[in-house]
Amino acid sequence: MLLFLLLNNKVMKTNLIHGVLAGVLSAIASVIYLNVYQNLNFVDFSSVINAGSIIGASIMGCVFMAIGYVLLEKIGKPNGKGVLNLVIIGLSSLSILSPLLMDLPLELDFPELFPALAIPMHLFPAMIFFGLDPFFKAK
Amino acid sequence: MHISFYSSIFVETNTTIMKTVNYLIISGVIILLSAFTINESVNLKIADNYSIKFSGTDVEGIFKDLKGSVQFDETNLDASKVSFSVAVNTINTGNGTKNKHAISDKWFDADKFPNITFESKRFTKSTVGYTATGKMTIHGVTKKMTIPFTFANDMFKSKFSVNRMDFKIGTMKGMSKNVSNAIELDVTIPVTK
Repeated sequence: MLLFLLLNNKVMKTNLIHGVLAGVLSAIASVIYLNVYQNLNFVDFSSVINAGSIIGASIMGCVFMAIGYVLLEKIGKPNGKGVLNLVIIGLSSLSILSPLLMDLPLELDFPELFPALAIPMHLFPAMIFFGLDPFFKAK
Repeated sequence: MHISFYSSIFVETNTTIMKTVNYLIISGVIILLSAFTINESVNLKIADNYSIKFSGTDVEGIFKDLKGSVQFDETNLDASKVSFSVAVNTINTGNGTKNKHAISDKWFDADKFPNITFESKRFTKSTVGYTATGKMTIHGVTKKMTIPFTFANDMFKSKFSVNRMDFKIGTMKGMSKNVSNAIELDVTIPVTK
């Protein structure tokens, strides 16, 4: 139903494309970072983090941001976008607590290297979503 | 004639003494060797796939390095003895920050006390297996401990509890009080001959 509504409105469609594209780019950036980080540090966290989960989480996160933008336009508040952006930044920042507090399986070596792997990935979706925003501004 | 007679008696006596001495030496050697045979226990090597797990309220993890010597014979507990050494800085709680905290001077102080050691003094048979009584040293504090264990299929298994406050590990102040005093240890040590 939501997808139908999104696709039947130009503004909504633009936002959806914005979200999906940001999600795909964020997933690509995260998967590249994952491979580079693991190869450079000789670690393997594949049992807790893998390309599939990264792609899914990145696209879903960015689509939720896009849905937020769509809902904002429905409400039509003047400062709404700024507030929503702050909420997105706040949630992204809060989400970095999870890799910091997470206890990994005990058989994994070098758990101290895990936060530096996972934290940037929590910030990529919002960064790329905001970076692409000027290209999707309604004319 | 007389000289020759006395001489032969002297030689005979000397030979008898020599024989007696030889018998005594041989008997002594046999007794000594048999004593060694009785007290000899089996030397065992610690296999690689050992595990030392610990758990308590708010804390769980493993130690990844174990070294030691094992002389254990189920039929000769008196001659059995073990000594183990666990490197404190190989602790893994699954969380890098907790690992650093654990080896810091707030808890184990790994720089000052790098090893946890146990040295057995006496083994006894119990209803379910055996007990090893010996000296446990953690965080520079040595306590006499009796550890229950089983031995089957070349595998030592033991579950016992250590009161961290007995060894002055951590405090009962602030967030540290969330960690229970009693830390349960689950140790599995496979051995080979």
